[in-house]
Amino acid sequence: MPVTFDLDKCDGCGTCDSICPGDVIFMHRPKLVESPDGSGVMVKITEERLPFGSNLNKRAPYLPRPEECWHCGSCRQDCPTEAISIVFSPEMLCI
Amino acid sequence: MKIREFSADVLIIGGGLAGANAALGAADTGASVIVLEKSNIDRSGDIGGGVDHFMAYLNTNSSWDTEDSFLSYVEKIGRGTNHLGHIQSLYCAELPAAIERMARIGNPLTQPDGTFYRTQSMGQPGPLWINFNGKLLKPKLGKAVRKAGCKVFGRTMTADLLTRDGQVVGAMGYHIRTGSFFVFKAKATIISTGNTNRLYENPRLNPFNTWLCPYNTGDGQMMAFKAGAALTNMEYMRMTILPKGFAAPGFNALVGMGGRFMNSLGEYYMEGSHPLGNKAPRYTVVFNTLNEIRNGRGPVYVDCTHLPGEKMRHLQSTLGYDKDTLPDYFEQRGEDLANKPLEIMVSEGMQAGPTEVTGSGIKIDGEGASTVPGLYACGDSADHNRCVHGAITGGYKAGKSAAAYALKRRLGDSPSAALVQETVDRFVAPFYNNNGTPYRQIEDAIRKIMGEHVGPARTEMGLKAGLEKLAKLEIHMDDIKVDDRHDLMRVNETRNLLSVGKIMASSALFRTESRNKPYHHRLDFPETDDKNWCGLVVVKQRASAVDCSFERIIYHDK
Repeated sequence: MPVTFDLDKCDGCGTCDSICPGDVIFMHRPKLVESPDGSGVMVKITEERLPFGSNLNKRAPYLPRPEECWHCGSCRQDCPTEAISIVFSPEMLCI
Repeated sequence: MKIREFSADVLIIGGGLAGANAALGAADTGASVIVLEKSNIDRSGDIGGGVDHFMAYLNTNSSWDTEDSFLSYVEKIGRGTNHLGHIQSLYCAELPAAIERMARIGNPLTQPDGTFYRTQSMGQPGPLWINFNGKLLKPKLGKAVRKAGCKVFGRTMTADLLTRDGQVVGAMGYHIRTGSFFVFKAKATIISTGNTNRLYENPRLNPFNTWLCPYNTGDGQMMAFKAGAALTNMEYMRMTILPKGFAAPGFNALVGMGGRFMNSLGEYYMEGSHPLGNKAPRYTVVFNTLNEIRNGRGPVYVDCTHLPGEKMRHLQSTLGYDKDTLPDYFEQRGEDLANKPLEIMVSEGMQAGPTEVTGSGIKIDGEGASTVPGLYACGDSADHNRCVHGAITGGYKAGKSAAAYALKRRLGDSPSAALVQETVDRFVAPFYNNNGTPYRQIEDAIRKIMGEHVGPARTEMGLKAGLEKLAKLEIHMDDIKVDDRHDLMRVNETRNLLSVGKIMASSALFRTESRNKPYHHRLDFPETDDKNWCGLVVVKQRASAVDCSFERIIYHDK
């Protein structure tokens, strides 16, 4: 992932989503749905590909199309909780 | 479908550096302003994440630091690509106010001690680059635009211009998250959508790994073209020099500080091959670098290891101004400018101006007006505006001109419901394709064709083959299928890429000479022919075909 989020630091404000010039970052809002086991219990689900272990009690950013990131660093500059790191892909670092 | 309607004196399409300055120019002249932006004006466009250079003469006591000297430089590196009178009006006349405006919005071009840090490269007669910290320039401009009362529509892609009786009277917008459409009525419209990227095969593999903003895809140029506007300088395929794996700008900074280009034999190949050596015009450095690689002398490097401590410290501490993430890249890749040469590579091609002071795109006059009444252009989407200095000066000028035009006119009627519906239907059609090709596959084919047939070495047979292939590919445009609103934006960009590609190939075929090689290099007409070709190739749409003509430029040689 070109942009990685420290979800312990992220407060779910959505600044990164709002300013990303490529519409590459989206905020995920967890949904309450009935458990598929038929027990009638409501459970939180992730509709999208959130990092493993994400806290589902708050909104969290994710990149559905990481290949479209320009690596401009705007999200990191504007993140109020410094939760963002830029990680370059192997081909960018090795060719 | 209920479609909301908004109106303003001046509508601005594209809220990057040029569009934001145009908004300020129009608002300062007393016009009401709407800005449409595909993303968010606080961080959109080429300099969203930051910028570190601005070209200016400052009228100090040096002979190179004057308007006359600057215009001589423009003529020297861009002969046959621009009218000097337009440059004088769009840039020179606006320069003092532009420098003052940047300071006023809170991002001065000076160092913390109030002085200008100036460097020289790219054929300049003296150190015309002002090196500055522009990491927050876009957010500060965004704030100034809102404070000036301009209404900003973010995440709004322009679906098409609205025209009536040969005039541009506004545009229709599409919200990339909600999928809503809007009608924007305006007395004057300014296009500032940047140049065209993602158009050529990318030597760094990922087509989004581009020098300039990969979300700039010629949208405005193609809207203007369809509305009847002339384009010029479309044959020039711009390229630059970039770090090997990451298309981050840095050429100015490295060479301005004294970096030397080196091949894998350890030879400094620019030195001795041009009077200005490493500080030769950009196209010359690119041309020679391509030759080194073609002749097997790659990899190529820029060597900064000889720089004295103070210069190296300035370079390293300011590298992240132009691209915030470049220092991270160097660290993660293990680069160390002080101790080893940096591997570089020629960039992907793009539709953009042939020099730092000449644009490519919508043909404008010295006021920023296009050839269609009610339509203006500025920044990298216009033919007489380029780079940061061009966007800030020419953007403001276009804003003032459009406002003066608008304030003398009345707002027209709303577009017919049928026209609005037709525009919406055309735009959303890929949603309703049950089977089809993803946009990315078509785009890859465009890039391949452009790279192989409309690249840095062109021939008549190759260009014609390229045009045939693009025409064949165009048939498949209607088969593209998308699944969501984001990709609906992308597929519209793909359409524009293909149209820009066709126009570039047609212009390149028409100009039977070479100019600013390798940006327009015809192997079958390898010489620059000032007798017959000192001027602009003007492109217009005629019965859905591309019509080329020639406009001579007269220079008053001293």
